[in-house]
Amino acid sequence: MKSSKYSWFFLFTGEKMHISEGVLSAPVLVTGAALAVTGISVGLKKMDYEKIPQVAVLSAAFFVASLIHVPMGPSSVHLILNGINGLLLSWLCFPSILIALALQAILFQFGGITVLGVNTITMALPAVIGYYLFGRLIKEKNRLLSLAAAFACGFFSVFLSGILVAGALLSTGESFISAAKLILLAHIPVMIIEGIITMFCVAFLKKVKPELLEGVYEKR
Amino acid sequence: MKKGNNIRFSFIILFLTSIILTGSNVPALAHKVIIFAWVEGDTVFTESKFSGGKKAINARVEIFDKDGKKLLEGKTDNKGEFSFKIPKLTDLRIVLNAGMGHKAKWTVPESEIREAGNILEKKSAVEPSGPTTVGLSKEEVKKIIEDSLDKKLRPIVRMITESKNTKPSLTEIIGGIGYIFGLMGVALYFKNRRKKR
Repeated sequence: MKSSKYSWFFLFTGEKMHISEGVLSAPVLVTGAALAVTGISVGLKKMDYEKIPQVAVLSAAFFVASLIHVPMGPSSVHLILNGINGLLLSWLCFPSILIALALQAILFQFGGITVLGVNTITMALPAVIGYYLFGRLIKEKNRLLSLAAAFACGFFSVFLSGILVAGALLSTGESFISAAKLILLAHIPVMIIEGIITMFCVAFLKKVKPELLEGVYEKR
Repeated sequence: MKKGNNIRFSFIILFLTSIILTGSNVPALAHKVIIFAWVEGDTVFTESKFSGGKKAINARVEIFDKDGKKLLEGKTDNKGEFSFKIPKLTDLRIVLNAGMGHKAKWTVPESEIREAGNILEKKSAVEPSGPTTVGLSKEEVKKIIEDSLDKKLRPIVRMITESKNTKPSLTEIIGGIGYIFGLMGVALYFKNRRKKR
């Protein structure tokens, strides 16, 4: 790959969805943290007793997903699994993803503690948006439609995460278009794989435990 | 009943994920990339690898000075190594670009170069007057010791770089999952207490 101006900003980032320490400026970090706190408080307010184990398991899934590599040219990208997180947890995916990211930062040195807020936003916000866009469609009786929605949700969440990461890098003087292009291109296989994973999860849940998909709506 | 089902389902997901995880343990392609450099005499040696231990082959290495001016560039060989003569007495910023945004950086401070360079300068100063004295001068002895130390320490330096950047170990992964479930326990405990009240 030809190096150009923008690749400088991945200098400290081994992997791309997690923005590393020392890349972003303070205002972006603070904004990200403030937004993340808002999302997390909404999530915590909605969290009730029955949901806690589910949040923990999806958090654990998110935590290990980043270790599953998808080979891409001379390097590789990894799974994110934020789509299924959002679909099953809606706003609760904020605390779920925050905890997983914090542990990834501490144990694997992915991302970092100061960028925790920004990283939480870039991964959890698309998940919540994906939930609002596709959550209702997934309940559809029409099997094909619901599976297509599940695929779209997994695909879209990663896509939007890429856009948000590029947006965050904007503050570093990075050109948005080139950063977004680089990130999105690299993550096309991840988007497809996550779409398929989300699809299988939804198909499985519909068969085994449809209440889990409905439950989120009933509580409201 | 409902709760029991929830948890059972949750464990199924976790189980499947762990299967995928162990199944995909093939990734020779890894996550982070690291470059490590050290000075020997007037040459800087660099070694590049991905966090899985795989060498970064044919990756571009660029050398910048303190002010960000590019001094030279080259490619790593099939052992992930690249060496170059010191072009200038300054802090050398070595940047590795292994493609796909995989970049790493290492700085060789000026003091380190000066230290290594000193030996050379002294050696050349000593040489002309060399034959007149019998035995070895202090500088020559120093130089020989430094040289052999460099040589002997090289594998150790290598070992340190290797240990510095390994991929997440199984203990870390399981530890992380353990933390998450521990937190779940704490959350359930507090929720439960509130409920009882």
